[in-house]
Amino acid sequence: MALAPLPPPEAALLVALGAVPGAWLRFWLVNQLEPRLPRRHWGTFAVNLAACFGLGLLIAAGHHERGRAASALPLLLGTGFLGSLSTFSTLAAELEASLRQGERRQALGLALGSLLGGLLALLAGRGLGGWLG
Amino acid sequence: MTPSSRREGSQGKSPPPRPEELLLVALGAVPGALLRWLLQADPLANVLGCLVIGIVSVSKPARPRAMLLVGIGFCGSLTTFSGWILALESALGRGSMSGVALLLLELVAGVLAVLTGRGLAGRLARCRPRLRR
Repeated sequence: MALAPLPPPEAALLVALGAVPGAWLRFWLVNQLEPRLPRRHWGTFAVNLAACFGLGLLIAAGHHERGRAASALPLLLGTGFLGSLSTFSTLAAELEASLRQGERRQALGLALGSLLGGLLALLAGRGLGGWLG
Repeated sequence: MTPSSRREGSQGKSPPPRPEELLLVALGAVPGALLRWLLQADPLANVLGCLVIGIVSVSKPARPRAMLLVGIGFCGSLTTFSGWILALESALGRGSMSGVALLLLELVAGVLAVLTGRGLAGRLARCRPRLRR
């Protein structure tokens, strides 16, 4: 927190440096998880929850800041890595696909599960982070 | 949905990602995350990403490279689920029911944006059928 805000070129570089492994991890994990899970949508669900847990840890560690001129760690880990690890567009696309195929209960389960699971994962990460000091 | 329209190779273990796939995901993830950071407006980034993923999700024949670059890389990193959950948690913490309602509406808007993107892609494909490989 004591770090000064970074000027934009360095800040952009940090966001990009965090985004690439975040997107790679999401791609790899979804590919690994989907064949093992009964329904394909739960791979993205799991990755999204993991990102919420990570965000909770980051907040507990005092390294979460928003804004274009945040300091280095929030930009790299928060905006870059965790922002790219989690995805809203795939969730929406999976909800749309479920609804289009008439699987309303699956869509509702995915929406509510993501919402409640995401909140719980965030709180769990923050709680664990706080407990670890 | 027929079983064959599920991801290919969903039986057993997934092969590790190929370098070409990782490159495409990274090339999409960097501009996606940078755009989200520059916009400083997650709802806008999320709905925009949903629109774009809707467009790429309908390409027929399926174009896996476009999906890796634009869908998994760009849209996945442009949109953020962890940011959405954090906004939801802080709206709940403030007791702001209008804030919660707006965030729930964001998910509905995302699903509608996917639908709109699919519609747009269908129109584009009809306008220039010869351009598709």
